[in-house]
Amino acid sequence: MKAPSANAPLYVTDRASVSPADLDASCRLPALALFAGAAIWLFVASVFTLIASIKFHGPGFLADHAWLTYGRVRPAAWNTLLYGGAMQMGLGVALWILSRLGGAKLSQPILAIAGAKIWNLGVLAGVVAMLAGGSAGFDWLEMPRYASVLLFLGYTLIGVSALATTHRRTLREFYPSQWFLLAALFWFPWVYSTANLLLVARPVRGVAQAVIAWWYAANLQVVWLGLVGLAIVFYFVPKLLERSLHSRYLALVTFWGLVLFGSWSGIPDSAPLPAWIPTLSTVAGVLALVPLLATVLNYRGTVKGKCSVVWTDPSLRFVALGFVAYVVSALMGLAEALPGVSGLLQFTWFVPAQHHLLIFGFFIMVATGAAYHITPRVTGLPVCARCMAVHFWVAALGILLSVMPLAAGGIVQGLKLSQASVPFMDVTHATLMMLRVSTLGDALLLFANFIFLKNIGGVLLRLGRAQLATSWAVATAPAQTPEAAR
Amino acid sequence: MTREPANVIAAEPAEPKAGGVTMPMWLVWALAIAGYWGMVYFDSRGGWFNTQVYAPYATLDEVTALQPASDADAFVNWGKVKFKETCELCHGEDGMGKPNQAPPLAGSEWVNGPANRVIRIPLHGLSGPIEVAGKQYNFASSMTAMGAALPAEDLAATLSYIRQAWGNKSPAITTEEVSAVKAATAGRTQPWTVEELKGIQ
Amino acid sequence: MSRGPFIFLAAFFALASSWFGLVLVPQAQLGRQVESKTVPAGDIYPQARPGLAAQGREVYRANGCASCHSQQVRQDGISIGMAVVKPGTNLTELVEAILKVAPELGRNRAARLVQELPKPILTGVTRMEADKARREIAVTGAKAVVTVEPVGPDIARGWGKRRSVAADFLFDRPVMLGSQRVGPDLASIGSRAASEEWLLGHLYAPRSVTPGSTMPTYRYLFEKRRIQREPSPEALRLPEAFKPEQGFEIVPKPEAKALVAYLMSLKATAQLFETPMLLPPEPASASTNAPAATSGGTNSPTRP
Repeated sequence: MKAPSANAPLYVTDRASVSPADLDASCRLPALALFAGAAIWLFVASVFTLIASIKFHGPGFLADHAWLTYGRVRPAAWNTLLYGGAMQMGLGVALWILSRLGGAKLSQPILAIAGAKIWNLGVLAGVVAMLAGGSAGFDWLEMPRYASVLLFLGYTLIGVSALATTHRRTLREFYPSQWFLLAALFWFPWVYSTANLLLVARPVRGVAQAVIAWWYAANLQVVWLGLVGLAIVFYFVPKLLERSLHSRYLALVTFWGLVLFGSWSGIPDSAPLPAWIPTLSTVAGVLALVPLLATVLNYRGTVKGKCSVVWTDPSLRFVALGFVAYVVSALMGLAEALPGVSGLLQFTWFVPAQHHLLIFGFFIMVATGAAYHITPRVTGLPVCARCMAVHFWVAALGILLSVMPLAAGGIVQGLKLSQASVPFMDVTHATLMMLRVSTLGDALLLFANFIFLKNIGGVLLRLGRAQLATSWAVATAPAQTPEAAR
Repeated sequence: MTREPANVIAAEPAEPKAGGVTMPMWLVWALAIAGYWGMVYFDSRGGWFNTQVYAPYATLDEVTALQPASDADAFVNWGKVKFKETCELCHGEDGMGKPNQAPPLAGSEWVNGPANRVIRIPLHGLSGPIEVAGKQYNFASSMTAMGAALPAEDLAATLSYIRQAWGNKSPAITTEEVSAVKAATAGRTQPWTVEELKGIQ
Repeated sequence: MSRGPFIFLAAFFALASSWFGLVLVPQAQLGRQVESKTVPAGDIYPQARPGLAAQGREVYRANGCASCHSQQVRQDGISIGMAVVKPGTNLTELVEAILKVAPELGRNRAARLVQELPKPILTGVTRMEADKARREIAVTGAKAVVTVEPVGPDIARGWGKRRSVAADFLFDRPVMLGSQRVGPDLASIGSRAASEEWLLGHLYAPRSVTPGSTMPTYRYLFEKRRIQREPSPEALRLPEAFKPEQGFEIVPKPEAKALVAYLMSLKATAQLFETPMLLPPEPASASTNAPAATSGGTNSPTRP
């Protein structure tokens, strides 16, 4: 990216009526509200994650307080990471991308801002409830009814704003990122309301609950995070490399593949369910290899020859890191679905490692890259490049140290668990060293999230000061005397 | 020390466009192969949507066959398994036979009649017209000796099964009875006819 | 774009297909399941959990025990065998029959076996062989059964006698299957845990009963109070290193008692149609604590 010369316009205008500057200005408050909320929750999430991570191998750490017991802190960490951090950032970026690609100013920004506040309130209520012992009992759906109503409401308001923006677009042709984002926008309310209705509000009987819980988790992580995250990748990589996306058709394969196969995946092979349910899910999980291949081909075709640019551009490198994490986590997910291997990896540390890589390594990283691109443009204030670089390296190292030892520990655990002659205590002890390294990675991620919070907070602070200064200047300007006006 | 030039907001490139490179053919092949694998996998492990079939069983029949039961029940269950393998194709799962192929076994006086008759039929086959439960049947081809290759106890189990399935209520057939009939009719190769069978008690 | 609505509908149906297949159909199949009968005894299964255990399930949920413990036993397959249960009148004929079906036993061993019935004679054979062997034995007047034993690493560890099925979770709200095995599987902890006191001690100080355990302590489920005139009958008996100071005792709170009642109610061992099983009979001379004939050695009460 070259530094602008004195006379070059700050934006390249090649589209219809509304200039990108206006589009950005219309997105400013909603995007900042969502990013700020996400940054705070990310930091909180990494605090919880670190506490939980220490408890893996040091169970005496903060052990005797009910609010901080492992069984409450761990779900709290996941929920704040996913709902508070990932989904908020995703929604913020989605609003901006839809506005830009459609060439229309963000409609109803008030709704989006209100939605962001209500969403944050919902996450807060949910996390407090979880720590106090009010968990609903399902993985990824621990928040009680009142919190999920708030989340649903907040999401709906943001979704209305996004849809209205798309409806009023001036450029009618859809770019692949738009298909992905619109599909995701529609899908989350459906899965969320179904899951909450059938699991929390009026629970269905027996293991049908487990099926629905697994279905919800897969649709939330594989489909929603996958669609929105890949929308971000498919938008920023071609744009910042000043190339076109390699193939629209490969993007189609990714879209339909994720929607069809991703939504059916997620039921473990040996679940206490009639054989047809896990079998269908396994088939879908294996077939999901095809959209993954299409995505990789698309990315490679777009990036070919400009690898060095990708890894040196301050915000694009986050997107690239996230994409690599996506491929690895998708392959890990494939391993968890493969018939011979899934029995080995189920119930081990491999599973949370894959989730962590997907949510943090992939989604948060691509959304961070997007946020670092969007924030300067909606506020007019740059983010310090050195801070971004430090964030990148700390996050990359943190992800590596946090996920890889956990995954390796999971494989060791799985191998030992499958041999009944190995006592359970030995299985536990075999993984302890890897868990300690993983805790180190989580500490680095805490630092990375702190840097992110500082960066975003810094921009907000400067923005606030600038606006304060402007208002002050306007308020204290010497009054125009009748003589001076004449 | 000057600040890095990248601390200003760089020029914003244009919105991306989608290129039109066609999908590689091998990806389509990969999808087709994976889809085929998926179908085969579901066929072998899916239990065909039955709620009572759990891994590692593949069909409801497998589960049924392994149910613990009293000795007599175990024998009859075994006979059911053998029936499915050997006789069901022509006589039907419900014992109602198939038109132009085989007469019904349900309510058949040949099944519920003397043991010596019902043992001989699968051992050597049956040809010619036959009346079963008031209806005349005249099949183009005669019944082959489907039970000739079975061990005596399997044939006894199968016959015991059909004699108490679908409403039939006749006593079981023992392995000894089947062995005795086999010994008595050793050397016979012709299928039985109704006249011959009527002469046997 | 006139194709827009069409594409929207297609995407809608594609996404909805999973809702149909993984929400609607399972709910239709499993959501109206009722109690079934065990095979062959015909008892109703499952029984709803008694009140204290149901409260304990709430404590289990509130403390996120499912974050570390799973509650589903897996099974890789079955092992078919044949066991002789009761001798007939003629022991010599029985010994001959046993040698006919299992010649590798040898005459001396077979002669000893018929004195110590019931005993498994064959394992790991096909159904046909087992049936044939059973009939060989039955001819002599003795009683023999074909045994069907679920096998798998979970079962070999003593975590259960068979795989978990939908009927095991019929009355649970919420169904907490767990997705991690940081700690052992709990589906049948009620069958293998030594006693309620052991479980309470494990909750208060895991490392006092299982050295090296990484389970956190749950002291907030207990109350430390001064000993009144005499110690409470409910007070925990702890090893020296974990005892409170002189004059104090540790008493479980109602939550701890409920949780332990819940854990003791977890016994997914009933014989059901979906999981055919006829285990080899317990040897007559064994004590009541002996493990079943072919399970692994990890059945001891102190190490679940």
